[in-house]
Amino acid sequence: MNGITRWITERIPVEGDQLRELTNEPVPNHLKRWWFCLGGTPAYLFVVQIVTGIMLAFYYQATPDSAYESVQHITEHVSYGWFLRSLHKWGATLMIASVILHQMRVYFTGAYRKPRELNWLVGMCLLVCTLVIGFTGYSLVYEQLSYWGATVGANISSSVPVVGEPMRRLLLGGEEYNESTLSRFFMLHAAILPVLMVMLLVIHISLIRLQGVTEFKDEKHPERDEGTFNFFPEHVLTELIMGLVIMILLAALATLLPATMGPRADPLVTPEVIKPEWFFYVAFRWLKLFTGTVAVLSMGFVVFVMFAWPFLDAALVRRFPKKTDLHVWIGIFGVLLIIGLTLWEAAVAH
Amino acid sequence: MSLSAKQSIIGILGFLFLLSLVFVQYEEVTRRRAEEGLGERHIAVPETSKACVDCHAESTPAIIDHWEGSTHAETGVGCVECHQANPEDADAFSHYGETLATIVTPLDCARCHSQVFDEFTRSHHAAAGNILASLDNYLAETVEGNREPFNPHSPTPGRAVTEVNGMASAFVGCQQCHGSKVALEGTDGEPITVDDLAPGADGLPTNAAAVARIARDDIGRPVFDAGTWPNTGIGRLNLDGSRGSCSACHSRHDFSPRRARQPENCGKCHLGPDHPQKEIYEESKHGVAYRDLKDHMNLDGKDWVLGEDYSQAPTCATCHMSGHMRNGGKITHDPGERISWTNRPPISMVMDTDAQGKVIKATDPEERAALVVDSWQDKRQRMKDVCMHCHTGAYVDGFYKQYDDFVVLYNEKFAKPGTDIMAALLDNGLRTKSQFDEEIEWTWFYLWHHEGRRARHGASMMAPDYAHWHGMYEVAERFYQELIPQARHMIEAAVEEGRAEAAHAVEAVITEILARPEHVWFESETGK
Repeated sequence: MNGITRWITERIPVEGDQLRELTNEPVPNHLKRWWFCLGGTPAYLFVVQIVTGIMLAFYYQATPDSAYESVQHITEHVSYGWFLRSLHKWGATLMIASVILHQMRVYFTGAYRKPRELNWLVGMCLLVCTLVIGFTGYSLVYEQLSYWGATVGANISSSVPVVGEPMRRLLLGGEEYNESTLSRFFMLHAAILPVLMVMLLVIHISLIRLQGVTEFKDEKHPERDEGTFNFFPEHVLTELIMGLVIMILLAALATLLPATMGPRADPLVTPEVIKPEWFFYVAFRWLKLFTGTVAVLSMGFVVFVMFAWPFLDAALVRRFPKKTDLHVWIGIFGVLLIIGLTLWEAAVAH
Repeated sequence: MSLSAKQSIIGILGFLFLLSLVFVQYEEVTRRRAEEGLGERHIAVPETSKACVDCHAESTPAIIDHWEGSTHAETGVGCVECHQANPEDADAFSHYGETLATIVTPLDCARCHSQVFDEFTRSHHAAAGNILASLDNYLAETVEGNREPFNPHSPTPGRAVTEVNGMASAFVGCQQCHGSKVALEGTDGEPITVDDLAPGADGLPTNAAAVARIARDDIGRPVFDAGTWPNTGIGRLNLDGSRGSCSACHSRHDFSPRRARQPENCGKCHLGPDHPQKEIYEESKHGVAYRDLKDHMNLDGKDWVLGEDYSQAPTCATCHMSGHMRNGGKITHDPGERISWTNRPPISMVMDTDAQGKVIKATDPEERAALVVDSWQDKRQRMKDVCMHCHTGAYVDGFYKQYDDFVVLYNEKFAKPGTDIMAALLDNGLRTKSQFDEEIEWTWFYLWHHEGRRARHGASMMAPDYAHWHGMYEVAERFYQELIPQARHMIEAAVEEGRAEAAHAVEAVITEILARPEHVWFESETGK
């Protein structure tokens, strides 16, 4: 042991073998399939969002008087500002898409079942955080659509019985969109939610490490999924390849379809077409199909079912022991409904 | 269910989900592009104009192409909406079942743009046709041409020219900017104009006899006097009594606001030796900045409000017409609303205007006060409101002090003395009433109409070379080296002809002028 290594080990008493053990978690062979790497993708994109977000925060000013102009400044004057902003915008889109794909994989493979119910709940919390962070980020631009999207979003939240109105006031920092609103959104977007998400991610990954990755075997070719392989470097390299593909895709999207700017927010002029970000199209269309409280309560019920699904699923399995794939058919219906409502909202102006 | 089956389900649903995201992003990008005016334009051809568009897409495809690029096309304003006519209109004719008129006048545009019509009608632009009775037009109609046609005096090889149109210079020159008096050919060979038709407020002719004289072609269309149409002069005198032509600035058929915002649009008329505003602007800091930053000026913006949509540089439209942050984005179609001096006449006058928008010439303060509806101070403040988007109040005040001093210097040192000398020559019979038959009349015309205006316009728009070398230097040279010597030569000639008393009266005027402190250097031996 040379002097430097001894100096470090005396102060950080971790042996190389312990470190290897920590990183060389044996990973089941089925994880060699790319679609089992979808959990790493949102985590990778989360890092991209943090890095680009910090850079954008150097220039962004969260006040109604200067928010739009500061975003315009980033887009038009800051070196590579347009690229950073576009990476951040497309990173959000891809992150939400990959979170949904990851959740679909977990759902259809039944990986949420005992003893991993709690990790499903943590995952659901991460999904909600991702959607809210997307919503607040969109609102920070302070353009017409984002302003009115935020206003409509806040009004919708007020339809929730009992807690709705206080929730709206808390979100907006007053009765309506005012000078405090943007700073609240900015704090949520750039501080509270990222910290919360890091904490949830630590719990999410810790639970995976503690419980191990769900093992799957292809019934027809069980030998294919026999055995394990090392997390480092084998699985890390697979994740790295996925990350590089995502980075290329992200850079291509940011370059070919850079983030644009609509007209500045004008509280006195309601735009003809109000649209939230695409990931709220489902909810937006749903709310248009029903009225007021019914729409909000039914939406709340759907969210509750999603959170409680591992327990509801267990009850269904107990009730119908022979129909173990019931969740697959419910899932197919749910995904098709989400896709249908999203396409419907995208295709029409109102 | 086997793992591979689940794999297939995840694969298919994942693919469908990603596919739907591509569609959603496509829709979002398309919507955004449309918002920014970059997307594919939605053309709404109104039912009434479908047949016109179909037919003219073959016969005059560029007209349809231009129209398809217009806001009119997007909002469903088609051919008939603008060209529709009342059957009683003098120039109305039936065209495939629709009653149309060829010329779309400001009164037609007022059907939708009534406020713009009102602003334009009271503007100096709308009065540009008044030149038809002015000194400038005398130049084109008489000095350069001839009011009556005349015979050629020798053959033109290859072309059988039997008659010379003496008005050709006026038609092609003056009237293409100032506007023609639109005329229809009469069956008796006499042209029919707004004077003959005597239209009412609704634009319909009240003189049936004049309408009955209108000559029509084989498909029933009224025949225009070729000298007066085509014409897009800004002060055109239309058959319906309205004045002007909206397409002078908003070129048909795309009526592009982008083009109207650019100085090149104004440069069709505001250039040349007598009022080189376009060249002056190009020389100024404003014009230099515009050339450099034009691409960043959001010229396609919907409202184009200074301070909100752009601030890189002003164009002609910015200062004289467009909306800005300080006035709530209000556009005016009366460019005179922000001009405090008129530098058009030989002696500049402040722009106190009366109820008809005319510059008040009265000299008595009380009489002026009674007539003023919009003072020059109000107009100046409106211009200052524009200036102060980029300059401080003290800077703007400083500029106006320099400009005012310059105009007053020109007025007092050259314009008023020159006017007095020309009047003395006329009053004492040393020159005739006929214009441009004596050398001094050309000299005086150059002095105020060309060089004097160049100097004043140069000062008004911050172009030092035009203010000095193309302006005051030439004014001074013309005054001292031509006007004074020519006037004295006329005095000598009058003395020789035995009109000593008249000659001495003019000499007294010149002597008094040259004895003034600002002129005394000219004939003093010390040259101070």
